[in-house]
Amino acid sequence: MKDSDVITLEEPRLSYADTFYLPQVLIGLGTTMRHMFNVVVRGKDRVIQYPEERREDMPVEKGGMLLKTYRGVHRLNKDDEGRVKCVACFMCSTACPANCIHIVAAESPWADREKYPAKFDIDELRCIYCGMCEEACPVDAIELSHVYDIVGLTRQEMIFDKAKLLNIFDETVKKEPM
Amino acid sequence: MPKITVDGKLIDCKERQMVLQACQDAGYKLPSYCYHPGLSIPASCRICLVEVEGIPKLVPSCQTPVRDGMVVHSRSPKAVASQKQVMEYLLINHPLDCPVCDQAGECSLQDYSYEYGRSQSRFEEDKAKKPKKDVGDNIYLYSDRCIMCTRCVRFTREVSGTSELYVDGRGYREEIDIFPGKPCNNKLAGNVVDLCPVGALLDKDFLFKQRVWLLKQTPSISPVDSGGENIFLEYNNGVVYRIKPRYNAEVNGWWISDDTRYSYKIIQNEKRLKSAFKKEHGSLTKTSTREAFDFAVAQLKSLAAQSSGSLYAMLSPMMACEEAFLLGSAIRAIDPEAVLILGPVPSAEEDDIFRHSLTGQQTFVIKAEKVPNAEGIRRVISQLGGPSANYNELISGNNPLLKNLKGGWIVGGYLSNWIKGALPAALATGFRVVQDILPTTLSESADVVLPGAAWAEKDGCWENYAGKIQPFAAAIVPPEGITREGDLYLALLGRTGVYNAQAIRKEMGEPFAAVSLPTEHVQAPAMEFAEL
Ligand code: SF4
Ligand code: SF4
Ligand code: SF4
Ligand code: FES
Repeated sequence: MKDSDVITLEEPRLSYADTFYLPQVLIGLGTTMRHMFNVVVRGKDRVIQYPEERREDMPVEKGGMLLKTYRGVHRLNKDDEGRVKCVACFMCSTACPANCIHIVAAESPWADREKYPAKFDIDELRCIYCGMCEEACPVDAIELSHVYDIVGLTRQEMIFDKAKLLNIFDETVKKEPM
Repeated sequence: MPKITVDGKLIDCKERQMVLQACQDAGYKLPSYCYHPGLSIPASCRICLVEVEGIPKLVPSCQTPVRDGMVVHSRSPKAVASQKQVMEYLLINHPLDCPVCDQAGECSLQDYSYEYGRSQSRFEEDKAKKPKKDVGDNIYLYSDRCIMCTRCVRFTREVSGTSELYVDGRGYREEIDIFPGKPCNNKLAGNVVDLCPVGALLDKDFLFKQRVWLLKQTPSISPVDSGGENIFLEYNNGVVYRIKPRYNAEVNGWWISDDTRYSYKIIQNEKRLKSAFKKEHGSLTKTSTREAFDFAVAQLKSLAAQSSGSLYAMLSPMMACEEAFLLGSAIRAIDPEAVLILGPVPSAEEDDIFRHSLTGQQTFVIKAEKVPNAEGIRRVISQLGGPSANYNELISGNNPLLKNLKGGWIVGGYLSNWIKGALPAALATGFRVVQDILPTTLSESADVVLPGAAWAEKDGCWENYAGKIQPFAAAIVPPEGITREGDLYLALLGRTGVYNAQAIRKEMGEPFAAVSLPTEHVQAPAMEFAEL
């Protein structure tokens, strides 16, 4: 790198009023007041009482979400016989820009299929929920469900394995069919 | 030299060369399936048909010899129409199961479908379904993906000379098959997987392990015999998944033996030595490489101080020449009269020679000598000069130089246990530093054990039986706890810095100085600095 490539930035100087902080605090409170006015006086309630109220239960016009297009945690779809649909082709992990899908392929135990995933792990912390994996899948086996409230106490817990991903399918398939 | 014009490009050819080969040599691509430069030419797949001015019909470029002034069109409307039709015919019964096919990513059918095919099929009938067959210990045949190019059949007839594969049936019932009870298990069988242009012949060993586009290649040399077959190590995330042949007209041509192909398994061998040991109170205890190394150096130095000529280094023919040079110089730096001993050179009875099944012409040789670098070590020992001996003299003890040896540095690194039977008396006494990959009776009784790196984990060069010195590069880093030999020897010499094979070769002088890695496909492995 040349010296001419280096840009030196000065910290902006605070004006005299800024050093008091009080004007900034009042400006911030103003926003709160505006919303309070809207809710209490004009009756325009935009508040959702989460977790009693949830966006996935609300109609779209009222600020609910489109279940089909929402990009939440992944699920691995099952076929009619309850077997994992995935054929372990690695298309999703190849397409994934965050490199968070880890598959171990094996010869499938079923006669009608060559290959299936012996292991299928997605690091949900690394994932950026872009949906590339779902675009890439040739058999519609991986989908982003509408579930967004996933928690874990450790990083390890947030690496979802095949069983967990299949479970999410069972939980969401009623509300969000394939 | 004749010159031809292909699609407006002037191409220099050799006398009697085929148009397709001339184009390939000149770097101009024409499609081909059945043509393989190492096999006879059946001109059966017809994807390579081109238009030649003055000839009314399309001709197969793979089987049309060049003539000076010939004008060839591979992109004319007639040629393009033919390519499209051939592709459409080939795909009529193709299952289109690319997502689960191991060949995807290196498949000519995929590539040509993209470049020359039409994206849609007009075939409305049911596809003929052909079975998956087990044709050998290491090979599956997915008949439904086969395009009947017969490369595999020609290989078993013309190169391995074993003729296991044949074409069964005619027309759309045509299939490749083996004769009942005669599987394709010759020592070159794995090559049919490499030369199959589609995913019909697949290696059971690699099956479903990785997608090929995830693999990276590093040029290397076969560690299994003195032939020095050129290979590519294909790896991903620090794991070598397979070995593929690397074309070298002078050494192995297009082929490699199955021993070479599966030699990478030594890297993943569960028994591998993964940490250093040193003898304390009569038994070997686990320790760090650094500690074991310091202990060994101190002991060797004190032995050398008592009397000169009491140390030896046993240089294994599995070592790289650079390593042998460094270890030889290091041991001589401690004891100027140290004896350099060439380690055991295991050998089969005789070379395995493969012949064309009809003409009897020799096509491939698997050398009897089962180590890659006996010649190179001999050369290094003679370049270093001074007292030297070989393993047999050490065992039998009838070399006066070997009478008063008190300690030595013994390098193993063989792909299997190299001490057959009981430990020879000469190796059972004195202070012994053993550096090896696999545990042996020697490493169990040594004073210091240092774990070694496999050839895929380090740089170096080997000299094959014919005196050809060939370099190889590290594809992966050694497992944790293992320091590359080169780095240890530099430390033994009291030098700083990291082992760099190319720089060491410069130091060694001719003929090593002139050896350098082929530049194509070379990717630097993620290098971590050595512990020492
Ligand atoms: S949503 Fe995007 S980042 Fe997440 S796994 Fe799929 S492809 Fe990767
Ligand atoms: S793309 Fe689909 S079928 Fe392929 S590995 Fe991913 S989930 Fe499985
Ligand atoms: S198995 Fe492969 S090499 Fe053999 S004929 Fe079929 S496509 Fe060609
Ligand atoms: S490559 Fe010429 S006919 Fe097959």
